Amino acid sequence: MKAAVIVFPGTNCDRDTKAACEGFGWETDYVWHFEQSLSNYDAVFLPGGFSYGDYIRSGRLAKFSPVMKAVKEYVKAQRGFVTGICNGFQILCETGLLPGVLTDNWNTRFICKNSRLKIKDGKEITLPIAHGEGRYLAEEDVLIELNEKDMIFLTYADNPNGSVGDIAGLYDRERNIIGMMPHPERAFFAETGNTDGREIFKIIEQALAVKK
Amino acid sequence: MKYKADIVVTLKNGVRDPQGSAIETVLKRTGMETDPNVAVGKYFSVVVNGESEQEAKSKLANICQEVLSNPVLEKYEIERFELTGGVR
Repeated sequence: MKAAVIVFPGTNCDRDTKAACEGFGWETDYVWHFEQSLSNYDAVFLPGGFSYGDYIRSGRLAKFSPVMKAVKEYVKAQRGFVTGICNGFQILCETGLLPGVLTDNWNTRFICKNSRLKIKDGKEITLPIAHGEGRYLAEEDVLIELNEKDMIFLTYADNPNGSVGDIAGLYDRERNIIGMMPHPERAFFAETGNTDGREIFKIIEQALAVKK
Repeated sequence: MKYKADIVVTLKNGVRDPQGSAIETVLKRTGMETDPNVAVGKYFSVVVNGESEQEAKSKLANICQEVLSNPVLEKYEIERFELTGGVR
């Protein structure tokens, strides 16, 4: 099992994400955003932080990165599983790999705190969130589809940012991708006082097991 | 030929605009305006090359849709579009 952690100019959660992947037993490489193929990897992570200064809007310019073309091909070929965390989720939405969009938090503030969350299977976990643009929005027909196809895998218990339907994370239509605003990699090791992030890695592991 | 365009991107009607709301609150509280209805957007200035005005406009529309705005929640308006000597 081999994972790639994509690094954009401005990414700052790459080291935590790599450490968590390795802690989970996966061989992990950093992959620079100029890379044009990801076919060597079973899992691809778009970590949090920023990308290209997040100019215009978060994730908007990363959309044109060579590696995003590789991510699109990777998804199309159903090669493995893609996970976007925070800025990675924003990039996936801007690229159109996930439906909807992330915009300014309801209260205009950057929110950095622990957030109570509910996984689709009913399990409740707590993960850190740290974002200014985490309010998930989508058009009405998209919201209907998200529910009909059971694509919402993670919801907020207290909806800190005003996301529609309390949405914190979702699958793509084919279950090859997840995107989420909370940071599982920041709650992985016992030293951080919270290991709930491992639940997300288990979801990825299960998705990969189905593929094999 | 070079054309200079000014583009303003704003949120679509009905999308909550937290920055606009914050400014509105200040305008109301200070008594500067009673019902200001503020919208916050972004301004871009872009020079596009084109053999014809039509070609330049079509390039510009693509830039606006693919790069400068996200059509899910934003709309763009081209405020000015004119021939330029190449000086921005």
